[in-house]
Formats: sequence, C-alpha cells, structure tokens
Amino acid sequence: MIRYMIRRTLFLVVVLVVVSMFTFLVFVKLPAGDPIARAVGRHPSPELVAQVRENFGLDRPLWVQYWRFASGMIPWPGLFLNEKVYFSYRNQTSVKEQILGRLPVTIALTIGAALLWLAIGIPIGVISAIRRGSLLDRAAMIFALVGVSAPIFWLGLVLLYVFHFWLGWLPTAGLPKGQSVLRSVFEGYFVLPWFSLAITSAAFYSRMTRGNLIETMGEDYIRTARAKGIPEHRVIFRHGLRAALTPVVTMFGMDVAFLLGGAVITESVFQLPGLGQYAIVSLYAADFPAVMGVTLVGAFFIVVANFVVDILYAFLDPRVRYT
Amino acid sequence: MKRHVTLVALLASLALVAAACARGEEPTETGPTGPTATGEIPTGGILREETTDFGFTNAFDPTGEYLGTAWAIYGNFLLRGLVSYPWLPGEKGGNEPVPDLATDLGEVSADGLTIKFTLKDGVMWQPPLNRPVTSQDVAFAFQRINTKSLIAQYGNYYCGTIVGMDCEGKSQDDPIEGIETPDEKTIIFHLERPTGDFLYRLAQPAAAPVPPEVAGCFDKAGEYGRYVMSNGPYMLLGSDELDISSCDTLEPIKGYDPDKFMYVVRNPNYDQSTDENRKNYIDGWSYVINTNLDDIYNRVLNGEIDIAHGAPPAAILQQYLTNPDLKDNLKTNSGDRTWYITMNLIVPPFDDIHVRKAVNYVVDKAAMLQATGGPTTGEIATTIEPPTVLPDLADYDPYATPNHAGDVELAKEEMRQSKYDSDGDGVCDDPVCDNVLMINRNYEPWTEYTPILTENLKQIGINLKVRELDVGTAYTTIQTMSNLIPIAANAGWGKDYASPFGFDYFLFSTAGLSCEGAVNYSNIGLDAELAKECGDEVYEAWKAATDNGKNPLPNVDADMEACVAKPFGPEYNACWAALDRKIMEEIVPWVPYRWGSQNTVLADTVVAWEYDQSAGWTAYSRTAVNNGLTMDEVAQV
Amino acid sequence: MADEGIAGSVAAPGGGDRPSTIVGRSPWQIFWMRFRRDRVALGAGVFLVLLAALAITAPLIARDLVHHDPNALFRDTLNEIGLPKVGPSAEFWFGVDTSGRDVFVRTIYGARTSLLVALLSTGFAVVLGILLGSLAGYLGGWVDTVISRAIDLTLSLPVLLFSIGIAAACSIKAEGCLGGLIQPGISLVTAIIALFTWPYIGRIVRGQVLTIRNKEFIEAARAMGASTGRILLRDVLPNLAAPIIVYGTLIIPSNILFEAALSFLGVGIPPTTPSWGRMISDAARGQLYTVAWWMLFFPGMALVLTTLAFNLVGDGLRDALDPRTQVTG
Repeated sequence: MIRYMIRRTLFLVVVLVVVSMFTFLVFVKLPAGDPIARAVGRHPSPELVAQVRENFGLDRPLWVQYWRFASGMIPWPGLFLNEKVYFSYRNQTSVKEQILGRLPVTIALTIGAALLWLAIGIPIGVISAIRRGSLLDRAAMIFALVGVSAPIFWLGLVLLYVFHFWLGWLPTAGLPKGQSVLRSVFEGYFVLPWFSLAITSAAFYSRMTRGNLIETMGEDYIRTARAKGIPEHRVIFRHGLRAALTPVVTMFGMDVAFLLGGAVITESVFQLPGLGQYAIVSLYAADFPAVMGVTLVGAFFIVVANFVVDILYAFLDPRVRYT
Repeated sequence: MKRHVTLVALLASLALVAAACARGEEPTETGPTGPTATGEIPTGGILREETTDFGFTNAFDPTGEYLGTAWAIYGNFLLRGLVSYPWLPGEKGGNEPVPDLATDLGEVSADGLTIKFTLKDGVMWQPPLNRPVTSQDVAFAFQRINTKSLIAQYGNYYCGTIVGMDCEGKSQDDPIEGIETPDEKTIIFHLERPTGDFLYRLAQPAAAPVPPEVAGCFDKAGEYGRYVMSNGPYMLLGSDELDISSCDTLEPIKGYDPDKFMYVVRNPNYDQSTDENRKNYIDGWSYVINTNLDDIYNRVLNGEIDIAHGAPPAAILQQYLTNPDLKDNLKTNSGDRTWYITMNLIVPPFDDIHVRKAVNYVVDKAAMLQATGGPTTGEIATTIEPPTVLPDLADYDPYATPNHAGDVELAKEEMRQSKYDSDGDGVCDDPVCDNVLMINRNYEPWTEYTPILTENLKQIGINLKVRELDVGTAYTTIQTMSNLIPIAANAGWGKDYASPFGFDYFLFSTAGLSCEGAVNYSNIGLDAELAKECGDEVYEAWKAATDNGKNPLPNVDADMEACVAKPFGPEYNACWAALDRKIMEEIVPWVPYRWGSQNTVLADTVVAWEYDQSAGWTAYSRTAVNNGLTMDEVAQV
Repeated sequence: MADEGIAGSVAAPGGGDRPSTIVGRSPWQIFWMRFRRDRVALGAGVFLVLLAALAITAPLIARDLVHHDPNALFRDTLNEIGLPKVGPSAEFWFGVDTSGRDVFVRTIYGARTSLLVALLSTGFAVVLGILLGSLAGYLGGWVDTVISRAIDLTLSLPVLLFSIGIAAACSIKAEGCLGGLIQPGISLVTAIIALFTWPYIGRIVRGQVLTIRNKEFIEAARAMGASTGRILLRDVLPNLAAPIIVYGTLIIPSNILFEAALSFLGVGIPPTTPSWGRMISDAARGQLYTVAWWMLFFPGMALVLTTLAFNLVGDGLRDALDPRTQVTG
C-alpha cells in the first residue's frame, strides 16, 4: 500500500510536470500574437521591443523560460506562484492574489451546485431504480436525458430570461461589487448558476445511480440478504446503495475538482468573477502568466482529486488490490 | 492609437465606447434634471461609476499610460501639468491648452527653439509629501519619459524634439540636456526645431510633474501606477497614508486595486484659488469593475450608480431612445475618432488601387452605422480625419454613394479597370479574390460587420474569410508585417491631441512601419530594405506588388515633413487637408466608415455634467451629483 | 455541455458486454429485433434521419422553398439601431437576427455544421481510441503504461481552456497550424474535439481488450502463430463492435455540445458559417434575447432536440445490445 501511494505521488508529480509543459507550449509558445506588441504601445522602436522582451524574460532560452513558470508550481514559500513570474501583464497584479481573491466565488459556485445536484440526482436515481419501469421512473429518466442534452450556456440564458427578466424573482447575472461572497449567496445571486450547473449534472448522477443500483441489486449478496429476510428498504439502503454509490463518489470527486479549476462557461454566462472567468479574460488578453497560473491550479485540483479518489478506492473497495 | 476603445472593451461581449460628433447637440452644463431650483450647482456626494475593465495600457503609470480614460482621471483629479485643458467640449474650447501649473502659456523665443515657464505659487503635493510642486518635479517627469525601461508609450512626442532626449536613457535620475531648472519656480525647454504644437504635447499627462521621492523608487514600466501622487484637487483614497520614509516602506495605495476598484477623495492640500478650470463639485469618485456590462447600464437606469461611459447594448439603448424621460440621460459627443477598414498595399487583390477604390464604393456604410447602434454611436465617415480635428474636410466625400449605402455599379466600374477582372464584368475573377483573410474583432458591433462586409464584397467577387479575434490579438496580428493580412476591419484611431499631426502622422508615414508593432497597416512607403528585414514572405510580396521595385509604393513622408514645418494655424490645417485628399484619392489605403461618438449614460442623480473634449471623456471636475453619499458609505476597501 | 468537460453521458454505466448468441439468429438480428421494439429510440432515430435529410437538403430548401440565402441580409427588417423588428412570421418562420438574416434558414444550415463536426470528430476519436486502447490492452507492459497515462493526462487537462488556446493559436495565420494540416474552421474544431474525446473510447476499449485477451479463442489464434496485428484486427475488434457502437453513439451528442460550446465562446467555426452555438451567443450579447427571444429559442431547441435524440438512440442501442436488459425488460 505504501509503495502504491509513493508511486501514485510520483505519478502526480509527473502529470503536473507534463501538464505544465503542455500549458507552456499551448499558451506561451504556440500563439502568434506577441504579448510584447501589446505592452509597448503605439509605435515602438526595435530597441524598445527588445527591452520589454528582456523585462518579461522572453529573450532567455526556452528551457529557462519554462523553468521560470514551472518553478511556480512547487508548493514552497517563495516559489509557489512566485510574484516575479506570475505577475499579470494586463494589470500589474500578482496572479496568486487574483487566484486567491477569486477562489471564494468559484468555491461558492461549486459547493452549491454540487450539493444541489447530489440532492436532486441521487434520490431520483434511487426512486427510479426501485420503481423501475413505473411512470415515475420514465418521467425521471426523461428529465435526466433532457438535462444531459441541454447545453449549459443555453439553459443558463433561458433560466435568466424566465426567472430574472420575466418573473423578476431572482437577481441578474454578476455579483454586486464589494460585498462578501457569502452575502451574495444569501441574496440569491448564485441560485441560477447553481441550477444551470446542477441540472446537467443531476441528470447524469441520477442515470448513474439508477444504473449502478439496478446492477447491484442483481448481485448475489443482495439476494442472500433478501433471502435472510432483511426488510427490503434495509437491503436497498444498507447494502445496495452503499455499493452502488462508490463509483458515484469517485465521479463526484473528479467533477468537483474540475469545477474548482474554474467553471468556464457558467462563469461567463453568469458573469461570475471566479477562476474560470479569470482564465478566459486572461486568455483573450494573451496575459499568459495569468493563464498559466490558473490552468496549473486547475490541473492541480484535478490531479490531486484523482489521487485522493484512487487512494480512497483502495481503502473502500476490498476487491481492488495494488502492487 | 489611444487605446481607449480597444482595451476598455476587452471582455468580449462589449459595446463600443466611441462616439461622434454631435454637432448640433445643445451643449449643456446641466444634467438630466436640469439645474437646481436656485440655479446653483450643489457640491458633495460621490460620483459612482462602473466599468467592465479598467483597460490601462501601462498599469496607470502616467509616464506610459495611453488610455483616454486614464488621461481624464489624471487631468481632472490628480495631475496638474504646466498647461492643461479647460475640461470642456470642443465648441467651448475644450481642445485648447490653458495654463494650469504655469502662470501663462510660456514665453517662446524668437527662433521658436526655447520656451520658458514660471510655476504658480501655492500648488502643493498631497500628504504625506506636503511640499510645493517644483520645476524639478516637472523635469523629473521628462527624465522618466526618457528612461527606456519605463516605456513611455508616446515618448515620441518629446524624444527627438527636446534637446538631449532620445528615449534610450538608462536611469531616470539622469538630467536632460535641453531642460533647465534655474530655480524651483522656473523651467526652460530647448527644442531641436520649432514645434507648433508643443503646448499640446506638454498638456499630455506624461509631461505633468512627478515627485522623485516616490516615483524614483520605481524603474520598471507600470510600477508607479499603484503609487500615483497627486498635486490636483483629488487624490487616491488612502494615498495620504503612504510611508515615504524610504522606498522599502512603500505599500500599494489601498484605494486602487487594478482588478476591482479605484477611489478618489479630496486632496486637503489643494488650493482652489490657484485653479480656474476645475470646479470640483463632488466629494469623491468611485470607479468599480463590474464584469456584467448589461448590469452596469441596468444599475444606471435604477440609480444605483450615477454614470457609465460608452453606448449601452442595443436592447438598453432602445429604452434611452424611445423613453422621453430617459432621452436626456444619454449624452452623445464627438469622440474625435475614425473607424476604418484597412487594406494592404502589398497583398493581392488590394495591391491594385482600383480594387481598393471599388471596396470604397461597395461598402454599405449606412448598414455599418445601423449595426453599430445608429446615429447615437457616430456619423458616417467619408475621409480620414474627423471634421472635429480638421474642419477643412467637413464636406469632402470622394467615394459618395446614395445614402452612403454603397453603389455596386460604381464599384464594378472600378473593378473593371483592375488587373483582377479579366472579362470586364466588374466582378473579380482571379483566384486571389477567393478566401481573402479579413481580421475583425470578436465582439459587437464588430461581429455585426462581418456579415455586412462579407455580403458587400461578394458583389464585386471578393470572398472574405473572416477571423474574429479579441481586440488585442487583432491589433497585434495586423501590426505584424509578416502576417501579410490583406484586409482588416478591427482598426480605429483616436486623436492624442487635437492636431492633424497627432492624428495621422504614424498611420501613413514610414515612421509607422516596422516588422512588429507597425501602425501603418497598409504599408504605405514600404521599401525593399525594410521588406527584406521583415522576412522573405514580406519581401516576396513587396516584389510582386512593386514589379520588382520598378513601381515603388507611394510614399507621403515628404508631404508630412512639409506640413509639420508649417506654422500652426490655417495654413497648417490646409496642408494636412490636402494630404488627406491625396491619401484618399491617390493611395486609398482605407475605407473610413464611421466617426465615432463618445456616449455617456447618466442617472438622475447627476445634476451637472460636462464633456471634456481633450480626453474624450466626462469632465469629472465639472460634474456634480445630488446623491449625498460619502466615501465611507461607498468604498469597499 | 457541462463545465466539467465532456464526461456528459459518455461514461453511462452498465454498458456493453458482448451480446450472447442464441441459436439460429445472428447477434445483429437479435439486436435489430430488440431495437425495433424500443419505440422511443426508434422515434429518436427517425428524428435524426429527418434532421440529416433537412441538413443535406438545406440549400434546396433555402433556395426553392424559403427563397432566403443563409447569409442574405434583409436590413429593412431591422430598426434604426439594428434591432430585429421581425419575429416568427409567414415570411421569416423563425424571425430574423440582428443582421437581418433568416433564423430558420440558419438553423437548418446549423444542423449541417453540428452534424458534420460531431460525426467527424467522433469518427476520429473512435479510430484513435480503438487503435491506442487495443494496443494498450493487448500488449500491456510499458505500452499500456504510456497509453494509459496519456489517457489520464488528457483527462486531467482543463479541456475548454486548452481548446480555446489551441483554436486561438491556430486561427491567426492564414495557413493554420502544423504546416497547414489543420486549417482554421471546421477541420480545426474537429481535430480539437477528437483530441479531447479519444481517451473516453480508448479507456473503454482497453478495458474490453483486457477482459478478452486471455479468452481461449485468442490463445488459440496466438498458438497458431497469428501476428499481433492480425489478432487485433480479426479476433479482438469484432468482439468490441457492440460497446464501440454504443459509446460512439453516446459521444456524438456530447461532441455536438462541445462544438456548440466552442462556437458559443467564439472560437473555431468561421463567423459566417451558421452554427447553433454561435447563434446562441449572438442572442446572448447585450441581452438581445430580451427583445428578440426567437434568436435564443430556436437554435437552442434545435441543439437540445438533436442531442436528446442521439442520447435516446444511444440508450436504445445499449439496451438492445446488452443481454442483461432482457432480464427485466
């Protein structure tokens, strides 16, 4: 087990290194738009261009440039998102500060949406699995399919149209300035983003729960339990659901991690100043220290979640053995 | 260009900020609700404004900052230069420099090479500096402009003009040969040549004094932006708490967070009696980032904030235009800005002047104005310089078409004369007319231009392939010569100051050519040497377009030199007007389609408002509100 | 598409063992018999066929039935500030957009873009997934490690950000990326989507191959000296057909949403090419949908119905190919 954990940890590091290389290549080296040109203004002399290139460290060899960015991922004070490197070209701010400042919005969005989709998705899945083939099951599965099929950006706009512009029940997109994220949560600014995000995922989770539960209920040990005369609801909740939800938990971990890295579309549709929106704005502005920072933080969440889920799996599921 | 529009609007979905000349609109110093009963303009209150993005080009460091909004903030609130503007619209003299820190407009020597200014008494720096502004502070501003690492984005107005300035300086502490400060109140400039518009250049924010004890700590571009010290009527909130005992104790001013807000409050050291032009009605100004553009305008409608700049999105604009109660809350002023389509003289099919003329005839400028949001957003442009900058060209329209809607027949007539129409039917039949790359911006109204231009040019056989890019990438793409972009619709140009030189010198002279960062996008005057330097592709294209150099590209450098040398005044303007005609008729690099307006939307709380022509923005120092707020209630630091 | 990427409906559970054979009927006959009984899936299939027909005949419909070109500008349908005055009507069935273009014609043209990109990218993803997945599963060892890790890695990337980054980088030069191999536009979008979807197929194929690699008939083939390529092609692949069809079908709708999301964010498909995602983002700009609801409604419905239909057909296929469904079915 310990060897396995060491191996997973090493793999985690390798993944982060490769991801950072990809990120560096895609966002820094591939674009034809030169960020320098943007920084020098109207009619720069070649000397000026060279000077800025030097200021930004772009005159160094490729690997030096890469290392400048990569070292920012090492979780060590002074290195982690080092403000000398991770410093936004666009508005001269520390990327670390920006990311930390925006994290609460993304966390509020993610947690709210995640709780919502679990609260909707799992009960629906359980009920339709138990009442398989019933009208309820069919209705639930139609909901699930429509939910899975609806693009989140369209759903978000429709919800905004109905609940803000038409009915006026809920506030518009965006967060009021200068008030805490918590207060905005209580004032309902997150309700529509939560629902847009949750409907799609809830649909998916209900399908998954239903499928797993049906499968589990056909297993031998469930039959044994039934045969022993254990009441059906106990069979379902004690034995069936427990096994059926293990893969759901895995999925959940990964989904939450993905969202923590920035819910790009939801944050754009609802103008939420979170990590996803920061990434998009920085990307459009070719502000690559910011893009690098936020992408790597996002990848970091995913990789860590992957790791945690794997380890949890090893503990939870006795069938899984690691060498 | 003053990157005003371009950077403010960085977030995709934004409306444009520019605006045309509202000649004929009644100039008003009162807000939507008119003057108060007594006719007196109230003081106090906080002017609340929101924007989607500050868009500063140099992080608010006055030495390099090129954004019009920033110039309005410096001028109205923070920085008093030797000369400045009266913060009025053009028709009230808003484009004319007036003395500010100096006692008068300077004593010019007979040969025009020396200008001497005397500073007023009683102009102080804000706390914690608490000392008078000196001529050395002014000289220090120029030392900063001259320092290479600080990247003065319009340093070209000073370097090469003031003796000893080349913008290549190593340290901001190095004095400049051509600037003398015999005592604390006197400053003398020595120029390389007589420069008619030197006062305009002095009125630019980069030339305003800077205190060496704070700014001297920062030698990289943009760093000083978070420590800007004021000698004007207002200061950044919290800037008086700066610990200036050493460079190490300086902490960024808390009232300015580049990603969230900027707050200004009154400067206790300001003496109103030294200032004739700033009225300073408000107690403070809050400028907050709100990424939801629609919400900004909704908030102005609801009176939750007082002011927003730029035309609202069409759905909201509609309300302002149709609701009589709102009509006066939407202001339209001349933005002194031309929006244009640029064509590349070395890339087929635009290497043929007849094709370029045909495009001028075929574009439906009326549809483009409609797509932008109608007459509120500007007026149809017929030549390079807006008449507000160069009145001589007011009625000039070399490619007139009925209702400005384009004329296919006239266009075909031109196309027929080109080398790309072999059968003479007025439609391009050469393969070079297929998949012609056009660069455009990726937000409205530019995205609305894509279908219009695609359909228009199809009529003369040019099939466009449009790339929509964010504004910064779009600019850098067409600024890189080796990309050989045939045609682009993303470009606009606003004045730096109200002189034709400041408007179009770099757009058409070879000074605006370089391999990267070129602004002479059409490559007027490109020669073999530079073409070679910018890569094989460029050189090949240049050879093809000039018949191996036998027919060199047109060049207007000499014409420009001749105009610069003319004395400032009618003769100067006439010279530039003649040059513009030549460019429009003999070179045809552009299709100018709109002279943009500056739109401002006000809430009913704004009881006095004025437009500042010099920055193309609200004259904050002449604006008043009656919301009775204090900064403590507004600021969220 | 959910923000979390394209996981969407792809990893739906309970999928695909090999169909068991019943005497006298081929697995395909059984499959068809069962699929035919699933009226919902069949209905969805019919819808898709109709949609495809509509997409293919779109130019004819536009020219001969509606008489509106998708890019024709009817500017007199706009008011002075460029807002559409004409909603759904006899002349413009789905109303006009802010350029005065016919939303109905653009919606049916949008189906062309959507289907083309989704089918092509799914095709590439499936080919790539089968190739790498079966190699990994069959060969094991370091090949498996490398490919599996590549799969993990691709799935750890923030997909949308990378897509936008690549699309942006490849859209600037006229000749595109990789020396002109990837042209901006449909081929670029297809490549990007395929790049980020193959791991889903790869992972499933690898798992399937792992389970059958040690079955007797494979051992037998190996013992008879068949080459790896031959075994993979002749013995392994045919047994993977069912799960690949099911998952391939289920990836199509998520790829449709992927394309729409990229178009919504303004990258990929050229601006004048009608695309549902782009039409929705046009409607979203400046709250336009509050004055012209039809700009949001029709392309959105087209998108939802199409993805829904693919999901229904995919579910139907899975049920029909999965022997276990009969137990309670």
